[in-house]
Amino acid sequence: MRFEFHDPRVDPAPAGWAEFFKAARLHPVWDYELLGLEAWGARNPQQVAVARDGGEVVAALSVLVCRPRLAPRFGPVPGRRSLRPFWAEVFLPWLSGYPGIVFVPDFPVGDRAALLREFERALRRHLGPGLLGVLYRAIDEEFAAHTAGLGRLVRPAQSTAVLENRFQSEEDWLKTLPSARRSGLRRRRRRIAEDPGLVVRGGPGRDDVDGAEVAALVRAHRERYGKLPLDTRTVPSAGFLHRFIRRPDVHTLTYADPGGRLLAVNTLLDHPDSPCMQHWAALPLEERGRGSGLYFDSYVRAVRFMTQRGAKELSAGRGMNELKEELGFLPRKLYAAAAPRPVLGR
Amino acid sequence: MWNLGAGVVWRAAYVRAVRSAFATVPFYRERWALDGREDPVVVPGRTGTNGGAAPLAEAVHKLVDLVPLAGGAPRPDPVRGLGRVLRTARTPVAGSLVVLLGPDDLRPPSDLPKGVRGCVANPDGPGASVLRELTAVLHRGHRVLVVGEDKAITAVTAALPDEHRVEAVPHRELDSLDNGPYGVLHDPVLGYLGALGNCGRWHLDWPHVYARPTAGGLAFTLLRQDSPRFVDVLPAGGVQGEIAPCPRHGTPVVLT
Repeated sequence: MRFEFHDPRVDPAPAGWAEFFKAARLHPVWDYELLGLEAWGARNPQQVAVARDGGEVVAALSVLVCRPRLAPRFGPVPGRRSLRPFWAEVFLPWLSGYPGIVFVPDFPVGDRAALLREFERALRRHLGPGLLGVLYRAIDEEFAAHTAGLGRLVRPAQSTAVLENRFQSEEDWLKTLPSARRSGLRRRRRRIAEDPGLVVRGGPGRDDVDGAEVAALVRAHRERYGKLPLDTRTVPSAGFLHRFIRRPDVHTLTYADPGGRLLAVNTLLDHPDSPCMQHWAALPLEERGRGSGLYFDSYVRAVRFMTQRGAKELSAGRGMNELKEELGFLPRKLYAAAAPRPVLGR
Repeated sequence: MWNLGAGVVWRAAYVRAVRSAFATVPFYRERWALDGREDPVVVPGRTGTNGGAAPLAEAVHKLVDLVPLAGGAPRPDPVRGLGRVLRTARTPVAGSLVVLLGPDDLRPPSDLPKGVRGCVANPDGPGASVLRELTAVLHRGHRVLVVGEDKAITAVTAALPDEHRVEAVPHRELDSLDNGPYGVLHDPVLGYLGALGNCGRWHLDWPHVYARPTAGGLAFTLLRQDSPRFVDVLPAGGVQGEIAPCPRHGTPVVLT
């Protein structure tokens, strides 16, 4: 097994990346060009580590190189080393509920723990003496078992909400919900459809949506709810979102008033197995002038998309879990694991 | 006071502004990382178009990306720098009143010299209270400086009796610089960038504003504005020109 590290900001994509992307059925956020764009605008830019077995890419990891937050700055430019200590996070920002490590489907489960130890040794050599340790975020139970060991820490993290697709249509899903919730969703759906002051549009590759407007909404929304502790992500910029929502595998749902003012937005990552609801942002209730029906409506539309797409499940990410459970989503356990430097590779 | 040392300090402040913008402001990070810039180059091998300068309209469209990671105001300040450029244009003294003609949401200038009062008035014709105050100041023998577009200044002078004389300080944008005799270089987004000096040349507000010629036109940088951050932006759609030292004062002037 051989590991390669690529800085998506300046390095070309690893050989065979396109084939691996297809074979491992990755979400659009793993697109190498997109990773590069995201890394340039990140406080803690990610690198892509690929594991090769006989020349074939068999696994990939998104590794965030994180520095203590002394001043809000983007990460150092490639080639410039910081003398400050840092840690690495195996994590994919903005793909809530999924780990930062992916394998080809036929990679043996029994070999994964060994691959992980080998990765840690390679990472230690690659990043040098400043590396304090590795943190694995949003990993599932099986992967948490691979990361466990002497001197390592594994803790449960906030679970992610997933709706298994057992439905032929959106109506099938509605029938499984408690009657109060069901009638509430139907009433909201009807009101939104009849509201002349609301323009709802959704679809892939939206070139009629202004990335700057979406970014302003996303930023204001996140600021309103406060920063998460130990959040190493960077809020996406207008330039990034402008390109992102134009991708054919990114569906953007917008709620606007007749004058074109954006009231709420939701992005959904298309995937044959598990489409993923990603960013949700809305104006405060007093500014948008209507109730909270838009948030629920975005779920109705996402479930409709899932049933029409024939996907296995719909992922709604982390947070607001009680509300998501009322909509039929089930929590899926996630863990975080930390491996300090002395035990890396052991 | 302008000498070689001041020129070096001015240039160093600009380089600092560029490096800081690249390290903390999303708009410049993305633009200069992907396309590049020059003078100074921030990513080796990437020199960009127009030396990395961006049209002001494009920057304003992505205003949310002009706020640095540390946070800050997302609104430009069109009154920024008025107090400083007035010293070059008309030199208000203690007791003077500066009437700024602009929309209702304009904030009154906050950097006027000590003893000089300022107010904002409707550009279509000042209200009765403003006229009353203006007349009272003139009666006391103090000066009144009226700053705004030509049309708005005419509306004020027309509303006053003939014996009352106000001093006009008309706005001029980069693409409409004339020979004065009075005027301030203004941009609705960047604020006040300079003024027509007594030498008949358009002087930059050089400790606070940097300008440099690029292929796309004169690019301006606000050296001391934290947010929104404007670095190497091309106002008025890009106007060709150069920055040269004034033969009389030695400080940088704009030649278009």
